[in-house]
Amino acid sequence: MHCFESLDHLKNSYNTRISQIVDEKKAGKKLVGTFCLFVPDEIIFAAGADRIILCGGKNDTVSIAEQYLPRNICPLIKSSFGSIVNNGCSGVKSCSHYGMVDLIVAENTCDSKKKMYELLGDYVPTYVIDLPQRPDSPEALNYFLGEIYKFKGVMEQLTGNKITVEQLKMEIKSSNETRQLLHRFYELRKIDPPPIRGVDVLKLLQKQYFLSTEELKASLRMLINEVEKIKPDGTHKPRIMISGCPMSSGNTKVPEIIESRGGVIVAEESCTGTRSFWDLVDENKDPMLALAERYIKIPCSCMSPNDRRIENILELAREFEVDGVVYYTLQFCHGYNIEKYKVQQALRKAGIPMLFIETDYSNSDIEQIGLRVDAFLEMLS
Amino acid sequence: MISVGIDAGSATTKAVLVKGDRSIIHTIRPTAFDFISAAEMAYKDVLDHAGVDKKAVDHVYSTGYGRNSIKFADKAISEITAHALGVYHLYPDVNGIIDIGGQDCKVISVNNGKVIDFLMNDKCAAGTGKFLEYTARALEVPIEELGELALDSKTPAGITSMCTVFAESEVISLRARGFTKEDIAAGLIENIAKRVAVMARQIGLKQNVAFVGGVAKNAGIKVALEKELGVSFCVPSEPQITGALGAALYSIR
Repeated sequence: MHCFESLDHLKNSYNTRISQIVDEKKAGKKLVGTFCLFVPDEIIFAAGADRIILCGGKNDTVSIAEQYLPRNICPLIKSSFGSIVNNGCSGVKSCSHYGMVDLIVAENTCDSKKKMYELLGDYVPTYVIDLPQRPDSPEALNYFLGEIYKFKGVMEQLTGNKITVEQLKMEIKSSNETRQLLHRFYELRKIDPPPIRGVDVLKLLQKQYFLSTEELKASLRMLINEVEKIKPDGTHKPRIMISGCPMSSGNTKVPEIIESRGGVIVAEESCTGTRSFWDLVDENKDPMLALAERYIKIPCSCMSPNDRRIENILELAREFEVDGVVYYTLQFCHGYNIEKYKVQQALRKAGIPMLFIETDYSNSDIEQIGLRVDAFLEMLS
Repeated sequence: MISVGIDAGSATTKAVLVKGDRSIIHTIRPTAFDFISAAEMAYKDVLDHAGVDKKAVDHVYSTGYGRNSIKFADKAISEITAHALGVYHLYPDVNGIIDIGGQDCKVISVNNGKVIDFLMNDKCAAGTGKFLEYTARALEVPIEELGELALDSKTPAGITSMCTVFAESEVISLRARGFTKEDIAAGLIENIAKRVAVMARQIGLKQNVAFVGGVAKNAGIKVALEKELGVSFCVPSEPQITGALGAALYSIR
């Protein structure tokens, strides 16, 4: 598969980004840490603050978290929490951005996260946005709108800057540009065989909320330019869509297995995938209302009912002409694990084969997953 | 056309030599620590039994946990595909397969030898040969006799632990409470049958089901699982070799 200069460039982006944040902080800019797509970036940027994602994908901080949290909650929560509370006594080093945030802006999504945030406040100032979980009712929209107004106030207080309608509109426009670039990029994956590996795409998407928006857009433009120039070659490989839990930075385990065994990932129905950019914010409405409307519709499994997600999966499977879906969940993520049943039924009805993989961040099950993937790919070809 | 399939399993290594489409020669030997030498020896065994020279073999295909380390094989295929093909050769009408091996359990839905869907349990030893091996030990019964022993029970003891280690301690406490060996054996087998039946129902196996793998030799499990699912199984005369057979046939196809 082709090597892309823009992706090589991204490999070095961690240190560049960290020094950028150091400089910003010296100049008095505040840094906000987030965990979730439900926190509207636009409000953070409009207040003149910067933002960085805190979701952990590395296994080595999981055991640190287990000193505080039960063992049977998802590895994403444990890895993130472990990275934040890590005081270095176990010899494990957290990535340096974890120690740089001025305020964590969390959200009430799943139970484990919600309760973890209650502990987190002892280590880093933490503000939690409440989230109504029956998203289609008008009451829910109003309530969420109220919550993001409160959040706007929190950001104004943190930065000392008043957020104006003009600034919000500007930030919405800018974020929409990113979303449109991602749409353009995903269009290229519809080619058969796709010109870029799914693992490469994922590594970029894992940096979506880590990089500054300027850097992200520049990287995306460079990559789109490079990918557009490639003449697709090679034969058809089973086209796989991954659907389910987020794959945070450091965790590319399952996609690596799928692509090393002869499949190719063409779409991710995931927070590190389509869920993050699929819908745009309406630029013609009152900006706060437009934000509330767009964000409350994110089809996260904490929502009930969440039929929007199933419709979206079927639509993506058709659009990207997938041969099969790998339903990927993290251990103890009850929301996505339970929703598997409905997704499987819907896919069965549509005649699309599905493989279910539940895993964590350790390497202990790589061979077992490999066997299932081998059998699934043999089944598809 | 001569082809050989080698199934490098966790407990045993199986080799099958197929001449044309008819004659099938097989061998089964313990895998032990060294996957590769077990595979080499199994290969030699079938060649010797068949009186065939290595040079006359057209293809060698491997399957099983050690499939990718068998370098003399032309290609490796997954056990799921291999079992589907092997069972199809023996029972063309089958549309479901249950395979219980040493360290995992597979439930496969098939149509004309093609895999439609499958489920595997290998995160822990629940529902596998290992579960039986450990619990038979706690009962001080040779594993081959466990199934027969269970058939003599009228009131199976309730054993609820899915965890092999905890089930072993459950067996010990049942012994202390005076339960008979027969009733404990039957309880263990019911436990494993229930576990596997859940998977079989998830996949939707209803009729024409083949039961293969080392554990299929255990009469007690077969009876308990048949009762649990309300079907009667096709069990090949040598249920351990369907994977290797399928691998051999894959190369012919």
